[in-house]
Amino acid sequence: MSTLVALARALAAERGIAQPVCTARHVHVSDRPLVLIPLALAGEANAPLAAMVGTDPRSPRLLVVHQPRNRDQRFAFAARLAEIVLAHVGGYRSAAAVTRGAGSQPGARHVDAPQIIVPNPAGIGFIRLLGRSTRFRRSTGEHAVDPAVPVLGRWLTFFAERSEHPGSCLLLAATQALALHWASGQSPVEDLNLAALLGWIDPPPGMTGYEAALAAEDPVASPPAGPATDPTFDNEILAPLIAACGRSDVTDAVRERSRSSLETALSGQLAPTWTLVWQAVKLLRALPSAGRLATRWDADKDAFTSYAEHLRDGGPPQPRRDSAVAAARRLNWLERAQASYAAQRALDDPLVLADYRLTGEAFGGPVTTAEPDRLDTSGKRRKLRPVITVVTEDPIRVEPGAALVSPTRPGQTARVVSVSARPPDMPRSATGSDEWSPSNAAFGAEASRPLTEVALELSGGMGRALTAVPGSVPVVGEQLCYTTLTDSYQLHGQFPAREETPWTHGGPPPEYVPTDADAVEAWS
Amino acid sequence: MDKLRGDVRHAMIGGDRVRAKELRAELRDAEHRWDEALAELADKSQSAADSDAQAPATPVAALRLAPRARVLLPVREQVHQALTLLGAPAAPRLIVAVHEAFYAGRLVSSRLTSLRRDEERSFRAAPYARPYYLCAALTADLLSPARGLLAVSTWPMDRRIIGPLSPRVDYLTAAIAVAEQLQRSGDPEPAARRLLWRFAANIPRAASSMRSMSPHEVATAARAELAVHKEADSAHRTAAARRARTQLDDAAQLFGSGLALSRPADTSA
Amino acid sequence: MNDLEARLDRIRGNVAPRNHNARTVAALTSNPGCARRAIMDAAGVDKQLLASCAGFAAQFGQSQFAIGRGNAFEAQVKAGGCAELLRLLREHLQLSIPEVSYDNLDEVGGNTCREVRYARTRALLARAARSDQDAGTLFDHPLLRLQVGGRPVYLEPDLIAFQLRNRFYVVEIKSFSVIDGLADGEKVAAAVIQSAVYVLALRDLLADLGFGADSVADNVVLVCPENFSNQPTAALLDVRKQLTVLQRQLARLERIGSLVDLLPPALTFDPRLDEYGLPHRPVSELISDVRTVQARYAPQCLASCEMCFFCRDEARGTTAALGREVRDELGAVELVQVALRLADGTLTGADDQAEAAAMLRAAARLRSECLDGAA
Repeated sequence: MSTLVALARALAAERGIAQPVCTARHVHVSDRPLVLIPLALAGEANAPLAAMVGTDPRSPRLLVVHQPRNRDQRFAFAARLAEIVLAHVGGYRSAAAVTRGAGSQPGARHVDAPQIIVPNPAGIGFIRLLGRSTRFRRSTGEHAVDPAVPVLGRWLTFFAERSEHPGSCLLLAATQALALHWASGQSPVEDLNLAALLGWIDPPPGMTGYEAALAAEDPVASPPAGPATDPTFDNEILAPLIAACGRSDVTDAVRERSRSSLETALSGQLAPTWTLVWQAVKLLRALPSAGRLATRWDADKDAFTSYAEHLRDGGPPQPRRDSAVAAARRLNWLERAQASYAAQRALDDPLVLADYRLTGEAFGGPVTTAEPDRLDTSGKRRKLRPVITVVTEDPIRVEPGAALVSPTRPGQTARVVSVSARPPDMPRSATGSDEWSPSNAAFGAEASRPLTEVALELSGGMGRALTAVPGSVPVVGEQLCYTTLTDSYQLHGQFPAREETPWTHGGPPPEYVPTDADAVEAWS
Repeated sequence: MDKLRGDVRHAMIGGDRVRAKELRAELRDAEHRWDEALAELADKSQSAADSDAQAPATPVAALRLAPRARVLLPVREQVHQALTLLGAPAAPRLIVAVHEAFYAGRLVSSRLTSLRRDEERSFRAAPYARPYYLCAALTADLLSPARGLLAVSTWPMDRRIIGPLSPRVDYLTAAIAVAEQLQRSGDPEPAARRLLWRFAANIPRAASSMRSMSPHEVATAARAELAVHKEADSAHRTAAARRARTQLDDAAQLFGSGLALSRPADTSA
Repeated sequence: MNDLEARLDRIRGNVAPRNHNARTVAALTSNPGCARRAIMDAAGVDKQLLASCAGFAAQFGQSQFAIGRGNAFEAQVKAGGCAELLRLLREHLQLSIPEVSYDNLDEVGGNTCREVRYARTRALLARAARSDQDAGTLFDHPLLRLQVGGRPVYLEPDLIAFQLRNRFYVVEIKSFSVIDGLADGEKVAAAVIQSAVYVLALRDLLADLGFGADSVADNVVLVCPENFSNQPTAALLDVRKQLTVLQRQLARLERIGSLVDLLPPALTFDPRLDEYGLPHRPVSELISDVRTVQARYAPQCLASCEMCFFCRDEARGTTAALGREVRDELGAVELVQVALRLADGTLTGADDQAEAAAMLRAAARLRSECLDGAA
């Protein structure tokens, strides 16, 4: 949480409507996302109750487990879900693969990758658990299941693990995607309620965000997005219906009616959330996509391609727990990925960069002097090294020698030559013009605000000649931002190979072979 | 009806159980009438379809029993069978599991909940009229009915007493009984092996996996632990049985003393 | 009945008192600064009913599926003389084979009265602790007692295990699953602090009998289903930290009398229910009386206290309602209005707010620059 975002929330609270905290969309939204709304039975580790799933907002498919404690019916549900999910994933696997561009790993990559959207982080948890409880199953022998079930398990586990990577969009939680772009006027905890959050972002006509969110909290009028169901629904409606479906002393017709009533009741709990998720998709699509989004989606496509290959080659299911090396490597990777993701969003979006301007890792302001033709004659060859001065009000914290980059000229490095305070009442530069931005105009108004003058030596992004390509060097009066953030790919930390796991971490892990015990593990 | 359902839920959210109860009753009423109306409609359309199709009429509302519910014995007989096999007081769940493992016919656990009470009533109405009664096991200290346990009246008193070590002793006794029965039957049901495994998993050195489990080894391991507790347990039970026979009347000896005794057992025994 | 009890009874009004249990006692540690909750809990106020009468009903019920599963799992763990539990305790506590003695303290010969059960629990635990011979290993449904805010609260742990010539262990049976060795962190935390309440109560009981605090282990045994099955697995969890926190909070509660003394003597939260359970107290009057006692609302209340919607409504417009992170980022300024006016420069803050105010103004400037003055 930064001061900017906090301020946005305060503004939202006052104005009665959510405020943007981004000017672009930083998550990929597929043309055909697979929306999945799961419901689980209370009290169990992972007992699927129902799901609404599909790629077309007008035609959701409803899956229901009439006896959620019945093991066979659970696997039947998994098989039916597998049919839908695997068909969706399969469509992307068969699409032609393209060769990756130069500069990245060699090999082919699928043209596009599937995307699954669930309402909230708990939905991701459901997928992770469902993946765990199905990926070790076998289609032969005792306790055999439909062959599609273990495959579903492996894919779901893949999606769930991938969702932990910062910047990955293969599996999205609608609440998280929305909260990344809008600040509501309620607390982050309350933002986990999809209906309430959408109430703030897109309130119905005539209602404030607060009122809309309040209405969304009535579980009778607005069923929870799941996977947990409302306890009064469980006690008053679900339990009697499940009991009715389980009776053996009634006619087929009566039992059929009970099943149909149960399906209607569950559909009633799912349909409003289904609509809300598609509403979220629509809102996100309306935002312009951020520049570096494509790079991250490429990484997702790589991961998808790689896992599809692993499965095609008959690879084993993901083990229960990471080996020591894998765990450390994963942690290290996650830290770097988080930093890279944050930097990318800042470079793509001035409103996100503004956060860093408050902490001193970035600054912005007008260029006050510029020497576009300056040459550096110190070395063997003469090099074009223009120097500019930028004046800023931001609380800058950079040292001479630091390398900065500007979002508007990503290929160009700016090295800090000097940083000095500038007396606030110094006259504007000789070329002072009226087209300066509001913050410039404020120079005169707030005479007491401290200013800093930064001199920067520029290199790169100007062409090969000793005269810069027009436009590649900032001119006086131009408003610019510079930052220490980079999104350059960091090398992995150095880790021993699996076989060389030191004894302090348990020695080399055995090759993971799924066992019989895994296949017949109870799912009760 | 939907509105009623919503109202019931709102009432529960507000903590107003009284109103919720009223609304629930209204809802049940409405649902019942709705179901009846639907059933009538189904009958009508069925008979219309029948007369159209001229197919032999199937009575729609005929109750269909579950296919395998050809009950061979009354519930009390089934329970008696299971308890006799076990040879020790047992909880309904275990009785049902034993029955499923070794005997034909189905025993539904819900039929057992009122069994003890019904047997007591029957005994008090006509004492000893029946060859046996399904009765309670008594706690050693207060001679009150131990919760959730059934025993057979023809067993000696001390087998129907529960001292502090008795739950474990009876568990091991039951394990031995199940193991021996498994050895005896030529073609055991999978349920029987599963039942034995549930015991074996909780007895030291009884078996390392369900697959490798051998009834003989389970019985041996159970007997080994049983030997550790047997003497102390028997001492408790014998002493308590003596007190029961002197202090309680016939009915109380079978079904327990309902009131706390004024002279609780000497706990240093 | 002493003065304090009389005052608390008056505050509660003509409604049956709600009993504390381990969960509510544990909850005292989550928002210790909230006087409203402290007084309501001390007086045994039915917070859900009160919230509903004031027009702010909050859902805190439990699904019968969850309850059913919990009961079924506990029954399974305790079946057959606690067969499954014995296996786990032999493994984790190294109980010896002879230690299998089982005592059920649920009823005492048909008498379920709390005082009687408590007395019997005391007697049996004392005997076990004093005896050199085996005099009890497993104590099922024991009843313990703890002084909370000067009043006795009866608490019922799932089971207490005693290791001969050694010490007592609190055993808690919960039905959330441990999957591949990992469980839901929040649920484990809740279980741990509830168990700590039982440890405190058990230590109190034994102290009364002349035994030291080390007669009760600092570790509790938590029993949960393993993976997706009903098979139980157990873990020993250290509760020393939670014990310290609890003792501190309970000590504060002892001073509830001083809080109550500050309140107007006629104060009452009585909703004045008639024989049909309908409230007759004017809502505005009830609300105003409740507001006399200060609350300390935070979004965490939404998950733990039935008065949450009432207090949230009252806290509208404060930065606390937006969450602690937001509040801190806004320079710990209390009101949203004030923060916004500091940000747009229409308000110059106090001296100690200067830094926060400057930050807010900078943030506002940047925001407006990026959104082209539209925001």
